[in-house]
Amino acid sequence: MSNHLAAGGSGASIWLQELFRRHYTKVVTWCLRVAGDREEAYDLAQGVFVKAQRHLGAFRGDSKVSTWLYSITRSECLNYLKSRCLLDDALDDDVAEALPDDPESRPEHVFELHSSVLAARALLDRELTDTEKRVFILHYGDDVPLLTITRLLGLENPSGAKAYLVSARRKLARVLSRWRASERLIA
Amino acid sequence: MAQARSRERSLLRKALSPSCACATPLELGGLADGSLAQPAATRLSDHVSGCARCQTELTLLKEFENAAPGPDEEGAVSWISARLERRFSEASAGPSPSRTDRGAALPRRSWFTALNVGGFALAAATLSAAVTIGLREGRAPELAQPSATASAVLRSAGITPLSPAGDLDAQPNELRWAPRTDAASYSVQVMEADFAELWNAETRDASIALPPALRARIVPGKPILWEVVAKDAAGRAVAWSGKQRFRLRK
Repeated sequence: MSNHLAAGGSGASIWLQELFRRHYTKVVTWCLRVAGDREEAYDLAQGVFVKAQRHLGAFRGDSKVSTWLYSITRSECLNYLKSRCLLDDALDDDVAEALPDDPESRPEHVFELHSSVLAARALLDRELTDTEKRVFILHYGDDVPLLTITRLLGLENPSGAKAYLVSARRKLARVLSRWRASERLIA
Repeated sequence: MAQARSRERSLLRKALSPSCACATPLELGGLADGSLAQPAATRLSDHVSGCARCQTELTLLKEFENAAPGPDEEGAVSWISARLERRFSEASAGPSPSRTDRGAALPRRSWFTALNVGGFALAAATLSAAVTIGLREGRAPELAQPSATASAVLRSAGITPLSPAGDLDAQPNELRWAPRTDAASYSVQVMEADFAELWNAETRDASIALPPALRARIVPGKPILWEVVAKDAAGRAVAWSGKQRFRLRK
């Protein structure tokens, strides 16, 4: 029989300290990317760890600690974004300016003109690239500002998430135009 | 204009929000690292492959798992980490309500004041207290004792673990599982809750004694995971127990 004991300390408190220290940097980095400001990120990271502390008793070990911490971080960050009302960021106006002055380019038409949410989602799935879908869903589904999406997804193109959103909306507008044209032909 | 935008947002939020079939972040994590049990793993895998919403969440989870500060973030991350550590140290040394590590600027949100903790109690320093509080308030769930019947049904092609499992009153001396006729040897791994390995071993028997150094690390309240992989004579894995969990009661 061969065996090996991994290095480490002993005792529940040491274990708990170590557990959180292992995942410290990713929580702080994530909070910084969401907040975009170190003091806001500091408050946000505190909130994550306090919530983790509160719910530690409910952690059953079914998932990795980092996944469990992610679920808390995600929830805290979305609450933070809602509380800060960062949705109407200036980039939204930039997006609007970059698009044709056509009501069909407004994304809600995709969902109004389709019989079900599933059909509209299938349309998004078919027409958009993976990154466009992610930007579209995070921005319109979770109200995440474009600058934050750029940081969270690590987008390195010059205009970040904005370029993907503009591209997505243009594609959807073209699809809707084609769809309406075919409807007129049928009529 | 504002009204139209609000209506648009509301419609989109509704349409793009997760459906009841969508995976939770914990399920997505389990799917990504292979720890999600069947049949949930197959069901969710099928769903995720066709769901842009779940794929987006999975992307974010992966970005989080790999999150490391870039060159333009390193300074801020160090600044934040240093302050969190300082609060941690203050909490370890006892409350000092008059201090703020942000100088004259008061925090916009005083998380720890809300918890009646004087200093920053980041995880570490107060986590052992948190566990105690959590248990006292009944929040820590009892770990279920697995049913041997259920285990046999779910893992008919696997290994049936026998002990230890669930909440224990005494420290276990060994790990035991039902032997398999096709197994020439077994690989055993003991892990912390985040799958960090504590110990591993190989044996030809259907049980293995836990060494004193490992037993010293099995302390009250700390969840421990273990698993066994059966190997044939050629060293190929032929069956797996899945991750078993136990915890010593406080």
